[in-house]
Amino acid sequence: MFIPLLGLKGKRSQILHFAWKNVKIRYRGSYLGLLWTALEPILYFVFLYIVFTNIRLGVKEDFGIYLITGIVLYHTFVKGTQGGLGSLKENVGILSSINLRREFFPVVSTVTSSIMLLVEVGVLFALMPVFGFTPSWTIVLLIPILILLQILILGLSYLLSITLVFIKDIQPLWSVFVHALIFVTPIFWYVEDMGGIALEIQKINPLGQLIEMAHKVVFGELPTVNEWLYSTAIIFAILFIGYGIFQKFEKGIVERI
Amino acid sequence: MSENAVSLQSVSKSFNFKRSNKLKSSENRLISVSDVSFDVSKGEILGIIGLNGSGKTTLLRLIAGIYEPDSGKISIEGKIAPLLQIGTGFNNELTGPENIVSSGMLYGFSKKEIQSKVKPILEFAELQEFRKMKFKHYSAGMKTRLAFSLAMQIDPDIILVDEVLSVGDFKFREKSLQAFLSFKNKKKTILFATHILNPLPELCDRVLILHKGEMIFLGDPKEAIQKYRSISEN
Repeated sequence: MFIPLLGLKGKRSQILHFAWKNVKIRYRGSYLGLLWTALEPILYFVFLYIVFTNIRLGVKEDFGIYLITGIVLYHTFVKGTQGGLGSLKENVGILSSINLRREFFPVVSTVTSSIMLLVEVGVLFALMPVFGFTPSWTIVLLIPILILLQILILGLSYLLSITLVFIKDIQPLWSVFVHALIFVTPIFWYVEDMGGIALEIQKINPLGQLIEMAHKVVFGELPTVNEWLYSTAIIFAILFIGYGIFQKFEKGIVERI
Repeated sequence: MSENAVSLQSVSKSFNFKRSNKLKSSENRLISVSDVSFDVSKGEILGIIGLNGSGKTTLLRLIAGIYEPDSGKISIEGKIAPLLQIGTGFNNELTGPENIVSSGMLYGFSKKEIQSKVKPILEFAELQEFRKMKFKHYSAGMKTRLAFSLAMQIDPDIILVDEVLSVGDFKFREKSLQAFLSFKNKKKTILFATHILNPLPELCDRVLILHKGEMIFLGDPKEAIQKYRSISEN
């Protein structure tokens, strides 16, 4: 089977069960518990908002909404890919006692990330009245953009989880990489103000593309056909490459971990 | 001749340790199971004995489908329970009941079906008082009891057991052995690796001895124990 997810047909209830458990475990034992799902992006937002509205970086009108839109996608990407990265390794106990499709765990991790994304989108909408912002109809296009984001996370989860089995160095490397990503992704800066290498990176960075498209639809603009085509093409390429590599190496993983 | 539940034909498996230590290249491959062939018929209890590192765990994991053999063929007839081994197979952050539900669902039960089994599983494992304790805080014996009761309640055709008898206390061991015998009456197949030799003659139909990855004996339990003792002494 060369198509991702096909092998998990009929496992929907298990996947949802495990994904929901992951959400519940994540903050278990903390005082605020599940509230952290919403608080994390809000705190990110408050911090960056204070910093950037105070260092006079030429912020435009509705910078708050611009910023939180970027943060929601970025934060989901970081949490989602980091969860995906550890998904096989953390479940080696289960994998070493039940013969289970290895694909199960990166997929569960991606579904977990989708559940958290719903909460983060709730934060985005909750902040709109705070900033006196009314979105236009184009905001419904956020739905396909967020679906693309989850497909990107799934593709990278396949790739990263299987890589971690063979190359442990990927864990610190990825953590540095996602931190660096915040600077080369249009979260607190505007694409039109950028030039040189930052703009070149933005052109090929699928997360940056998705965030820019999300900005457009939130602010009443339609992304261009090229933007849709490019982001869809690269994200599906990552998905199939990730899955292909996963399939090639999944057999011998339990004895490796 | 009765039907076979498990059948192995010249199965071999070796591991590569090149990256994890500084052995010379010829020593990098550790042969764990080498050219092993045997059949286990339905309703049979097979004991597997051998010194540490003789390949018992690897053999069970191969049969469970967790490891892929390098060569050879493994055929299984029937539903296999999760491999019973010491302290794994569960999520550390979840409580006992939560782990039962999760594992049961992975094994193919609906949430409702497995939820109705939580109580008897906890009772058999004698863990009712620890419903709210996270798995990571369990003792080794508690972990094993939970895994064992779960495997007993999900009604598999084939049960693979790795060493867990040595962890439970005397009382639980007795109970486990009783459970084995009742399974035998139901025509279930059990393969279990152990270091505890005493119950073997009473329990097993046959005993297999692994030595350095090779099967050196398969047959009468009493004979096997004698042979095993003579290996251990050398």
